Amino acid sequence: MSTPLLEVTDLAISFSHPRPAVRSVSVTVDRGEVVALVGESGSGKSMTARAIIGLLPDGARATGSVRLGGDELLGLGEKAYTAVRGRRVAMVFQEPQTALNPVRTIGWQIAEALRAHGGVRGKAARARAVELLTEVEIPDPEERLGWYPHQLSGGQKQRVVLALALANEPELLLADEPTTALDVTVQAEILALLRRIRDRTGTSILIITHNMGVVAHLADRVVVLRQGDVVEAAGTRELFAHPQHAYTRQLLAAVPRLPEADDGVRVLADAPAPTGEVAALEYDDVSVHYGSRMRGRVLPAVDGVTLRLERGQVLGLVGESGSGKTTLGRLAAGLVPLAGGRVRVGGEDLAGLRGRRRADLRRRLAFVHQDPEASLDPRFSIGEAIREPLDVHGVGSRAARDQRVAELLDAVRLPASFTKRRPRELSGGQRQRVALARALTLDPQLLVADEPTSALDVSVQAEVLELFADLQQRLGFACVFISHDLAVVNTVADHVAVLRAGKVVEHGAAARVFGDPAHEYTRRLLDAVPVPDPTVRDATGPALHEQREQIA
Amino acid sequence: MTHYLLRRLPSALVVLAVASFGIFAMVRMVPGDPVSTLAGPDATPEARAAIRADLGLDQPLLTQYVHWLGQLAHLDLGTSYRIGGQVKDLVADGAVNTIVLTLTALLLASLAALVCSVLAVVLDNRWVNAALSFGNTLAIALPTFVTGLVLILLFAVVLPVLPAGGTPPDGFIARPDIAAQYLLLPAVCLALGAGAALTRFLTEALRTEMRQPYVTTARALGISRRRIVLTQALRNALPSAVTVLGIQFGTLLGGAVLVEAIFTWPGLGGLIEEAISGRDYPLVQVLLLLSVTVFVVIQLLTDVVHAWLDPRIRIGGTGS
Amino acid sequence: MSESLLDVAAPEASDPDDQFDTRRRPGIWTALGRGKGLAGLILIGVVVALGLLAPLLAPHSPTEQIPGANLVGPSGAHWFGTDEVNRDILSRTLYGIRTDLLVVFLAVPIGAAIGILVGLVSSWWSFTDVIAQRVFDLVLAFPTLILAIALTAFVGPGLRTVFFVIVAVELPVFGRLTRTSVRTVREMPYVEAAHVIGAGSLWQLRRHVLPNSLEPLLVQLAVSMSVAVFIEGAMSFLGLGVRPPQPSLGSLIRDGVRNMYDAPYFAVGPLALVVALVLGLLLVSQALAEARRR
Repeated sequence: MSTPLLEVTDLAISFSHPRPAVRSVSVTVDRGEVVALVGESGSGKSMTARAIIGLLPDGARATGSVRLGGDELLGLGEKAYTAVRGRRVAMVFQEPQTALNPVRTIGWQIAEALRAHGGVRGKAARARAVELLTEVEIPDPEERLGWYPHQLSGGQKQRVVLALALANEPELLLADEPTTALDVTVQAEILALLRRIRDRTGTSILIITHNMGVVAHLADRVVVLRQGDVVEAAGTRELFAHPQHAYTRQLLAAVPRLPEADDGVRVLADAPAPTGEVAALEYDDVSVHYGSRMRGRVLPAVDGVTLRLERGQVLGLVGESGSGKTTLGRLAAGLVPLAGGRVRVGGEDLAGLRGRRRADLRRRLAFVHQDPEASLDPRFSIGEAIREPLDVHGVGSRAARDQRVAELLDAVRLPASFTKRRPRELSGGQRQRVALARALTLDPQLLVADEPTSALDVSVQAEVLELFADLQQRLGFACVFISHDLAVVNTVADHVAVLRAGKVVEHGAAARVFGDPAHEYTRRLLDAVPVPDPTVRDATGPALHEQREQIA
Repeated sequence: MTHYLLRRLPSALVVLAVASFGIFAMVRMVPGDPVSTLAGPDATPEARAAIRADLGLDQPLLTQYVHWLGQLAHLDLGTSYRIGGQVKDLVADGAVNTIVLTLTALLLASLAALVCSVLAVVLDNRWVNAALSFGNTLAIALPTFVTGLVLILLFAVVLPVLPAGGTPPDGFIARPDIAAQYLLLPAVCLALGAGAALTRFLTEALRTEMRQPYVTTARALGISRRRIVLTQALRNALPSAVTVLGIQFGTLLGGAVLVEAIFTWPGLGGLIEEAISGRDYPLVQVLLLLSVTVFVVIQLLTDVVHAWLDPRIRIGGTGS
Repeated sequence: MSESLLDVAAPEASDPDDQFDTRRRPGIWTALGRGKGLAGLILIGVVVALGLLAPLLAPHSPTEQIPGANLVGPSGAHWFGTDEVNRDILSRTLYGIRTDLLVVFLAVPIGAAIGILVGLVSSWWSFTDVIAQRVFDLVLAFPTLILAIALTAFVGPGLRTVFFVIVAVELPVFGRLTRTSVRTVREMPYVEAAHVIGAGSLWQLRRHVLPNSLEPLLVQLAVSMSVAVFIEGAMSFLGLGVRPPQPSLGSLIRDGVRNMYDAPYFAVGPLALVVALVLGLLLVSQALAEARRR
C-alpha cells in the first residue's frame, strides 16, 4: 500500500481555555477508505475535522501535522487553504436545515461552488449541476435547480449539501454527524448513498459520529476518541468483536439495542385485558389541529387516536418527525388544545375541570422536557427549581420542603451541595436529573417525558435511563415516554404505540411490537435503524439498497 | 405577493383613517382661535361670525371632517388662513426642497452604511473595527443640532468654503454643481444619525450572518470570505436592513424639521412651524397628514419589499 | 455546530470538580464596572453632579443681569462668557443641566413605567392587546419631532410640553418592547414547566416572566434617556421647549446659534455638556447590550 491519502499526526488544538480541546490525535485515511471518528461530546472529534479543513473557530490554535496526499495543510495561509477546500477536501455538516443559504436557489449555490475553483459556468455549469443532483439521487433535478432550500425536505437538503461537497470531485469527504438530525428511514437512505458514492467515485470518507450503528454500517476502520485523545483504532469488525480498551467496551455496552431476530421469539400476548381499574391515562379518539381555522389551513397533528395506559406502566410513543408523538404527550400534560375526543388522567377529564380540582389533577401530573437547559429557569438555583412545585401548591413548612429537595437530589443521585448551583453550572446529564427530580417533587401518578435523553451522550443516556427505570419501579408512577429512538424506548417501555402522520399504526407490548412487528411501517422503521454490529451490515447491505429503490 | 400586500393594507388604512381624524379633531381643540387672529382684537361680533361662517367653523366637527376629506380627495387643500396663498402651492414648494434634502440624506446614509459595514466585515481587522465603532458611537451620540452647528462653524465660519444655509438660488436643475454645494452640509448633517444607526445594524447583521452554518458550508467549498460577504451574507441581511431603513426614514423626516431650521432651508419643516405658531388650521392639518401618510406608505413599502426579498415569504410552503 | 462548544466544555465523567462549566454568567450590571460602561457612568456622573451642585458652583444666578457684561468672551470672571442680555453663560448652563436631568430621570421613567404596565396588561389579555397595538401603531406613525410639534400645537410650548412629548414617545416604545419580551419569555420551556406544575398566571409572571424580561427593558431605558436629551434639545432649539428666561441646554444652544457670528464661544459649553450626557447614556446602553449578548 502506498502512502495514505490523509495523514493526521499528533494533532493538538487549544483555546485560551486551559484545557486543550484536542490533546493528541493521529488518524490516517487511505484512498477509497471510510474511516469513522467516534466519541462523545468533548472528545474533540469535530474539532479534528475542522482542523483538517482549516475552519477552526477563532482563537483556536492547532499544532502537529495534517498531510493530504503528502502536502502539509496545517499552517497554510487563508488563500492557499481556500484553494484546497472544496477542491481536495470537502465537508458535510450535521444540520441540513441551516447548512444551505435560504435566499439562494439550489442551482445558484451549486454554480457558486463550481465557480470557486474556476470550474464550468453558464450552460455547462447547469448541466453539471443536474449531473450532481442526479448523483445524489434527487428526483426531477432540472426542476429542483430553481428551488429554494425551504422547499425541500430535510433528507433532500442533506443530499444537496452532499452534491455541493462533491461538486469539485474532492479526494476526501469529511462528514460531521451527517445523519444525526434526520429521521431513521432518511438516515438509512443517506448512509446507503454515502456508501454508493464511495463505491462509484472512490472518494475517501472520514465520518464523525457518536452513533455506533452508523459506524458499524459504514466504516472500514474506526478511531475512538475520548477527551481529545485516541483511545483505540482498529478495523470495524475487529473493534466490535474484540474491543481492546475499557472505554470502547463501555461505549459499546451503553448503546441501547433492539431485540434481534435470533433472540428467540417470545410469543407474547398483546395488551393485557383491561383490569377494570381506572387507567392512568386514556386517549379517547383524540384529534389535534395545527394552524388556525381563520387562515383556512388546518393540519391534523393527531388524528383520531385511542390509547390506554394502565397505572404503573410505561407507554412508549415512537415515530418520525411529524408523526404527532410529541403533540400526544403534550396533550396528556394539558399543553395543547383538543380539537376532538377526550383525554382522561386518572379517570378525570382535564378539560372539564376548573379551579381547585384542576389544580389537584395538575399535582398528579408531571412533564419532562427534551431540552433540560431550557426547561430550568436560568435565574433559579437547583434547590429553588426543585422546590417550586411545593411552593406553588403551598405544601408543608419551609423546612419540610428543603428536606424534600434533599431527598429528591439524593434520589436522582446528585450531591446535596447542588442545591445552591445554577443550571448553567451543570452538565446536560445533571440538568436532566434535576428536571426529573423536579417532576417527581409532588409524587405524580403520571409522568410525561418528551425525548428526555435525546440531547445526551450515549453513556450519559444509559445512566439516565437506568435511573429512570429504577425510579419508575420504586415509585410506581405511570409514564408516557416519547422518543424517536426505538432502541431507547425498547429499554424502558412496557407498551409501545407506533405513530405515523398523527395516527397509531400499531400498538402492543414492547417486546412484541419490536420483536415481531405486525405492520409494514413498523418493520420498515426497525429495518432502518443501523444495527451496531458490522456483521449485520454485510448481510443487509444489498437489501437496504433494494429497499431504497422501492421507496423511490 | 399581492396577497401579502392585501393582508397588510387594512391595518395601514386603519392607521391612516384614525390618524387623519385625530389630526383634524386635535387641531380644532387647540386653544387659540384663528378667527381672533384673523379679525384682529377690535373686530365686531358680526365680523367674527362672518369669518367663522366663511371658514366653515360653525358646522359640527364630523361634518367638517367629512367635508375636509372630500376636499382632500379633489386635491383641494384649501386656503391658508394667514399666509393667504393656496395650501396646495405652499406645500408643493416646500415639499420639493424637503424631498430633495431627505432623499439625498437617505442615499448618503445607505451608501455609507453599505460601504462601512461591508468593509468592517470583509477586513475583519481590529483597528478598522475600533475606528469604525468609535466614529459610529460619536455619530449617534451627537444630536443633529450639535453636528449642524459644528458643520456650519467649521465649513462656513472658520473655513468659509460652503454656504451656511439657504437653497441654491438657481434651483436644483440649472446649476447642479452649485446646488450640490448648498445641499452638502444639510444633507450630511441629516444623514449622520441615520447612517450611523444603519451602519451599526448592518454590521451586526452581517456578522451574525457570517456565523450562520451556511457560511461554514460555503467556506468549506473553497469560496472566499469576501465573496461570501458580497454574494451571500449581504443578500441575507438585506430584508431586515430594508425594514430598518424604513424606520430610519421616519427619523429623517423628523430630523429634517430641525436641519431645515438650522440651515434655513425653506422646506416643510419651516412651514409647519410657521403654520402652528399662526394657528393656520388647513395648513397644519395637511402637513401633519402628509407626514403620517408618507410614513405609513413607507412602512407598507418596506414590509412588501422585505417579503419580496425573502423567498421563504415570497414562495410559501415547505417540503415536509 | 453544537459540538464546537461542547468540545471545549468539560465532559461528564472524571472527577467531580472538573465537571462543571464554572463560568457563571455575570449579571449585566458588571458591564458597568469596566470599559465602555464605566466611561459612560463617569460621564453621566460628572454631568449629574454639575447639575445637582449648580447652586454651589454657579457664580451668578441664572437670570441675573450683570451690568456692563454684554456678550463678553470667556474670561476669568465669566468662564463661558456672557449673553446678549448680560447673563453669565456658565451659571445658565449649570442651571440648564437641571432641566435636562428632570426630563431624563423623571419623564423617561414615567413614560417607561406606564408603557411597561400597558405592555404587560396587553400581553396577557388579548382584548386590550388589539387596542394597545393600534394606539402604539398610531403614535409610532408620527416621527418624534413631528409629534412634538403637533402636541405643542395642542398644549402650547413649555417644559410641560417636553415632558408630555417624551412620555407620549416612550410609552409605545416600552409597551411594544415589554410585549415582545414577555411573549418571548412566555414561550420558554421553563415557563411552560411552571404551568405544568400548576403555577397560575400571576405566579408565572412574577417569578419567571418578569425577571427574565427585564434586561432588554434596561437597555432600552438607557437608549431612551439619551433620546430624551435629544428631544429636549431639539424642541428648545425650535422654540417649543422651555420658556425664557428658564435655561435648558437646548435653549442655550438656540441662543448660541442666534449669536453665532458675534459670539462663536457661546454654544461651546452647552454643546459639550449635551454631548457628554448623550454619549454617557449611549455608552452605558451599548455596554449593557453587549453584556446581554454574551
